Amino acid sequence: MGLTLNHFLILGAVLFCIGLYGAISKRNAIAVLMGIEIMLNAVNVTMIGFSFFNTVKVHRPDGFGNYAQYLTGQIFAIFIITVAAAEAAVALAMIIAIYRKRNTVDVGEIDMMKW
Amino acid sequence: MLYQYSWTVLFAPLLAFAVIIFVTRVWDMLSRPRVQEVPAHGDTHADIHGSIDPHHDSHNERARGADAINRVPTDGDKSLDDPTNSNSLPIGRDPIHGVLHGGHLDDDDDPKVPFLSAGAKASAYVALVLMAFACIYSWILLINSVVSPDPMLVKTGYTVFQYTWLNLGNINYQIAFHIDHLAIAMMVVVTTVTLLVQFYSQGYMQNSAGYARFYSYLSLFAFSMLVIVFAQNFLVIFTGWELVGLSSYLLIGFWINKKAKPEEQRPSPASASLQAFVVNRIGDVGFIIGIMILFVSTGTFEFSKLQIAVLGMNKTALTVAMICIFCGAIGKSAQFPLHVWLPSAMEGPTPVSALIHAATMVAAGVYMVARTFPLFYAADPAAFQVVGWIGAFTAFFAATIALVQSDFKRVLAFSTISQLGYMFVGLAVAGSEYGAGPGMFHLFTHAFFKALLFLGAGSVLFALHHAMHREVQDMRLMGGLATRMPITAATWLIATLAISGFPGFSGFFSKETIIGLAYDHQQWGLYALTLVTAGLTAFYMLRAFILAFGGKGGYLGGLWGGPYRGEGEVHESPPTMTIPLILLAIPSVLAGYWTGFFTYLNPDAKPLDIAQLLILPDTWIGVAVSLVGLIVAYAIYARVELTKIEAFVQSRPALRTVHRILYNRYYIDAFYDWLVKYVVLNGICWLAQAFDTYVIDGIVNGVASLITGFGSGVRRVETGQVQSYMIGFFGGVAVLAVLALVLINVVK
Amino acid sequence: MDLTSLLFWLFAIFMVVAALLVVGLRNIVHSALALIIVFAMAAGIYVLLNAEFIGIVQVLIYVGAVTILILFALMLTRIGGHPRTNPTNRQWPIALVICALVGATIVFAELTSPRAIANVGTGAGQLPTGVSNVVRIGQLLYSPTSYSYVLPFEIASLVLLVAIVGAIVIGRED
Repeated sequence: MGLTLNHFLILGAVLFCIGLYGAISKRNAIAVLMGIEIMLNAVNVTMIGFSFFNTVKVHRPDGFGNYAQYLTGQIFAIFIITVAAAEAAVALAMIIAIYRKRNTVDVGEIDMMKW
Repeated sequence: MLYQYSWTVLFAPLLAFAVIIFVTRVWDMLSRPRVQEVPAHGDTHADIHGSIDPHHDSHNERARGADAINRVPTDGDKSLDDPTNSNSLPIGRDPIHGVLHGGHLDDDDDPKVPFLSAGAKASAYVALVLMAFACIYSWILLINSVVSPDPMLVKTGYTVFQYTWLNLGNINYQIAFHIDHLAIAMMVVVTTVTLLVQFYSQGYMQNSAGYARFYSYLSLFAFSMLVIVFAQNFLVIFTGWELVGLSSYLLIGFWINKKAKPEEQRPSPASASLQAFVVNRIGDVGFIIGIMILFVSTGTFEFSKLQIAVLGMNKTALTVAMICIFCGAIGKSAQFPLHVWLPSAMEGPTPVSALIHAATMVAAGVYMVARTFPLFYAADPAAFQVVGWIGAFTAFFAATIALVQSDFKRVLAFSTISQLGYMFVGLAVAGSEYGAGPGMFHLFTHAFFKALLFLGAGSVLFALHHAMHREVQDMRLMGGLATRMPITAATWLIATLAISGFPGFSGFFSKETIIGLAYDHQQWGLYALTLVTAGLTAFYMLRAFILAFGGKGGYLGGLWGGPYRGEGEVHESPPTMTIPLILLAIPSVLAGYWTGFFTYLNPDAKPLDIAQLLILPDTWIGVAVSLVGLIVAYAIYARVELTKIEAFVQSRPALRTVHRILYNRYYIDAFYDWLVKYVVLNGICWLAQAFDTYVIDGIVNGVASLITGFGSGVRRVETGQVQSYMIGFFGGVAVLAVLALVLINVVK
Repeated sequence: MDLTSLLFWLFAIFMVVAALLVVGLRNIVHSALALIIVFAMAAGIYVLLNAEFIGIVQVLIYVGAVTILILFALMLTRIGGHPRTNPTNRQWPIALVICALVGATIVFAELTSPRAIANVGTGAGQLPTGVSNVVRIGQLLYSPTSYSYVLPFEIASLVLLVAIVGAIVIGRED
């Protein structure tokens, strides 16, 4: 059977939900971060999928003829990867800082903003 | 010109009130000396009676209440002469009037001063001078209007003062004062009696610490009564109505700290004044409703405009309105069932009783009905029937109660209620040929002889107070005072004969006119009641006279003088008290001879025809009934000793029962007490208070506690945990997404 | 089934299973290792979709850097004594329901959308050959004259700078 866009989109949806489940229901902060990474990857899969199956053709007058309409999804994916990496770095630094303060990485115990 | 300045009559007592309150009373209060220690109780009595202890024992027995101020030391060990004794009476400590100088609390809790300060005397003089001015002016007005009648005054009257209070669209509220013949007649009565009472009070209230306050209240009362007299519309008369109620409250409750005497069935003056005010207010509810009905139907408050406007009004509405307005008169003039305040109002000083509850305030109801006579006449005859029947019933009812009362002033109170009933009967049966004449005529004559009766009673009580050193109002402790107080007794006898309708005195003319009119108009019920009441009136008045001034063994067969059942030496009162008595005795005799009274009030009326009156047989039937009453009273009370009479009544069960019912005033006071206590206070008030506490406060507090509860529940959403927030977030997303899909599919 | 589909299914199933393992394993280090598999499979899918550069970048950054970062963090935040270092909190049923709903909604919307884009993959086949993916992405990112994403690129570099400085500041001991 030929691969269609639906396959990738459904794959992305499933992965997104698994990542969401991990982000919501895990107690270890790093596990939450892992769930978020899974979610971002799911989005990436979807983006690349869109870029591959795109049929829109926009005529560009310049000679370079860059491949915006074909590669926009991939550019998105690059940026997502970039930002995800940055965010993972900052998040892990925060987790380590909290661990130093409170000797725990259980997100259930970090509730100073509660009533 | 004379009439244009008659508003000065109205404002003179107001000026007196202001001057007394702000100037002379302040002067009086500031000039009282202050003392540090209190002299012992025994000093002032020791030199009069020569020994301390027996007198103190008798004071102990009669001292009421057990609060700190009044506590007489009962501990025999401590010496009463020791000024450092902490148990001795803190004598003369009156929180209102400041510490007194050597006085002591009398049994009637009236703080006394040994001599009046200049400020106090000045208060009296201010009040007297201004009231004398008002009185002289009003007599001049009266004489002028009789001798040279002004047609304008007769037809419409003059508006002597007008102030527009509110004028918006079709609402026009004026404060307007207006003078016509009816007003002049009433004005003369009010100012004369007030002047005489004020003069009398110089003697009666001497040594009282509240002297200046008394005169200020008297002036305020005079002003309020004159507001009613001069009123041109219902708003002003209502204002005066309430002001008179206020003045009555202040004056009845004048002795602020006096206590109740339950064994004599006497309330404290504070409760009596409150009762007077509240019962008046109950009547005023009807009054206001009546005024409102009239205003809504006709759009005006003024009497002159109402006279014309009610002719086009719905008759039933008018009748209902007039009956409601009469309710105000029932309250103010102490008719049944709102009569209970008048006997209690006797707790005030006797000059107050003379002024307010004999001559003027209670007559305000009669005056108001006379003022609105055209309105009553334009209504269904049922309105006048109501007025007449309530008046007649009250007259009979009060007369029966007065037969057995033993308190001197209470007899006079019920007598007043009874005579007011006569006035209302007079107004009811007059019809258009007499107008308001007969009722007002009886008011006119009644004012004089009733004031005389009260002032004479005051004179007697004053003398007895000095003789027995305590307040005595019981007739069983009097007797034979005529020889000891001849002027008082003579004038009292004149007044008694006047009220009984003895031919020749003023009461004869006014009363017989009313009874005759009832007969002429074939109101047999009213006729019968008024006739019987005339006999009863004669009986109890002579009974009172004989019990106080006569007794078996006196001159004139027991009428004058006799054995004295009290203690001590009784002397005649000072001239400041006896001169007004003599001055009042004159109109008590002569006032009835003003035959032009009816035409004076209403030029279309028939005049009082004395010759006609003397010829009519029913006049003499009335006289005969009165004479029967007098003779029976004489036969019983002047011939038989009081103790034997009492024994006779107690020995027969029927008489005993009747005596008990009448003595307890048909238990109506007890019924009202029960009603107030259980139905009003414990019932309605409790319900209202429970409603307020549980429902209204419950709702308010409930809303607040609901919100706080909600808040304290909702705050738990803020767990501080990120994952809960994420659940909320994505849960919302999930819900919205499902919702959107469902809607899309349904819509598609 | 041709090679492409086979590869796709392989990668997809491994990825999903590995993701489930990430979420479900009791030991968090094992979860981290499963995460590596997720990333690797994702890279494989990218290559399948003619996005080789992205695939390489994925491996470099995710597998190479992010995973190491996570493992370092795990090392530094060791909590001993528990048999289960990757516990689940008490709200997992609700989370399950929510995730299922969200997933079902996305899938349903995706499948029944009237705007279904190309279901047959011909997109990348339209690209002219001879130019590699890297060159194309470079042109798209840096081109000064025609349509390019150079501004987001600069901003992304700024983001990275901030992230570096921030991570250092947050993570230092004082």
